[in-house]
Amino acid sequence: MVGAGLAGVRACESLRARGFGGTLTVVSDEPDLPYDRPPLTKQVVAGTLTEADIRLAGAEDFGARWIRGTAAVGLDRVRRRVRLAGGAELPYDGLVLATGAQARPWPGQVPAGVLTVRGLADVRALRAAVGGGAREVVIVGAGFVGVELASSLVGLGLGVRVTLVEPFRRPLRALGGTVPDVVAAAARRAGVGLRLGTAVSGFRTAGERVAGVVPADGSDLPAELVVVAIGMVPATGWLAGAGLALPSGRVHCDARLFARTAAADGTAGAVDPRIVVAGDVAWCEAVRSADGPVPLEHWSNAAAQGELAAGNLLAGPAAADGYEHVPSFWTSAFGLRIKSVGLPGTGGRVVAEEGEPGSEKVVEAHYRDGRLVGAVSVNLGKRLVEYARRLQEERDRPEPAGDGRIPMPVAE
Amino acid sequence: MRITVDYGLCDGLGQCALVAPEVFALDDDEQLVVAPDPAPELAGKVAAAARACPVRAISVEGA
Ligand SMILES: Cc1cc2nc3c(=O)[nH]c(=O)nc-3n(C[C@H](O)[C@H](O)[C@H](O)COP(=O)(O)OP(=O)(O)OC[C@H]3O[C@@H](n4cnc5c(N)ncnc54)[C@H](O)[C@@H]3O)c2cc1C
Repeated sequence: MVGAGLAGVRACESLRARGFGGTLTVVSDEPDLPYDRPPLTKQVVAGTLTEADIRLAGAEDFGARWIRGTAAVGLDRVRRRVRLAGGAELPYDGLVLATGAQARPWPGQVPAGVLTVRGLADVRALRAAVGGGAREVVIVGAGFVGVELASSLVGLGLGVRVTLVEPFRRPLRALGGTVPDVVAAAARRAGVGLRLGTAVSGFRTAGERVAGVVPADGSDLPAELVVVAIGMVPATGWLAGAGLALPSGRVHCDARLFARTAAADGTAGAVDPRIVVAGDVAWCEAVRSADGPVPLEHWSNAAAQGELAAGNLLAGPAAADGYEHVPSFWTSAFGLRIKSVGLPGTGGRVVAEEGEPGSEKVVEAHYRDGRLVGAVSVNLGKRLVEYARRLQEERDRPEPAGDGRIPMPVAE
Repeated sequence: MRITVDYGLCDGLGQCALVAPEVFALDDDEQLVVAPDPAPELAGKVAAAARACPVRAISVEGA
């Protein structure tokens, strides 16, 4: 098991639950025991959940040998070995790739006081900075990490002033429809300084530390602490040269979660029957829009893929089950409880099917060429069950020939 | 089958309702509602719903 986030932990659980009695070695580059990420930017920053509350597994679990604080740095599929930082090699009969992703770093040097947030260590640093008196915070990027952080920081009641800077015109724009505008209005009401349509060109420093963020328009946003929240990059650098297909940096896997090898012409080739993939690192053929596979960065996907990947690894490709999953996601900020099913970002037409568009109680359905592709709710999550059922029906409906299929060499 | 929800943990995220809508639902305030006495043949779905809970608020006995 390489990576011990949610996908890795669920894969460990699933291996043992299915009676795997062999040696299980878990490699994690984090020194911490596995923990859950969604609460990091919400309850952990807010101080309502502790580190112990979000633990996913203990060192005694799964009868596993844990190697923590050590990164996998290479994979030799022919000799079936994972190389670790420090030079040790681990042989394997089966391998689960669950290395997730890292926060996308700022493109360029950053001064002290500029953080990204993906893990517990980042949130500790953020809390320490605020605990140490930082009151002027600028967050760069209004995706869900930036928006949740802004909400949690202004909610602390410590008088933290938060400015959220985003190059696009809307926060959480991936949700589409009117929901981003609802979020923007709620953020402003909560006292967040929202600078939409504003690109950041760099940082101003005082000595070694950050003192401000410099937008491209030449203005200046004073900052004692800056959080760069501009997305994520899959953690596959260590797989370079392993001969796996890595479209957009993710590990390409078939509908049964087996990793595809890279064919000589660079396209995805046969599967490696000893390697399965799960979670944010995966680019799975079974998760697709009309344009082809879509990567998911959702909790529910990591949990479900971890469980299935382990089962399929034990079963082998011939007896493995396909991944059948309706994507689902939630986020919350400024008192808005936002949920989605399907792939709302891939739709063209958005219809408010319950509640008033632009209000704080609404369900918006997303259609593409007349087909439902996703739905987003604000404070009306009860309606999503119906959309999930419809999406499942859409998925099970045969696609018209030639509709969005990607050419794919036949697996071995 | 006996389903227990720890409402101190439950955050109304509704993942269980997506997996086993026969048994779990959210109400108008996004609070979780559980159907009494689910049919025994739903045991597999209920177990999957419990596993799908992000805050591990659902426990199932006698499934
Ligand atoms: C702050 C935050 C908030 C979120 N909130 C929500 C939410 O509200 N709702 C939702 O649906 N989803 C949310 N998500 C997304 C969800 O948490 C992820 O989809 C999920 O964590 C993915 O799990 P994973 O196991 O695939 O990857 P990860 O959780 O990233 O775990 C991968 C692990 O592998 C380790 N690793 C990486 N490279 C190596 C290597 N070379 N060697 C060894 N170990 C390695 C990493 O350090 C990490 O510990 C959130 C994510 C974040 C970061």
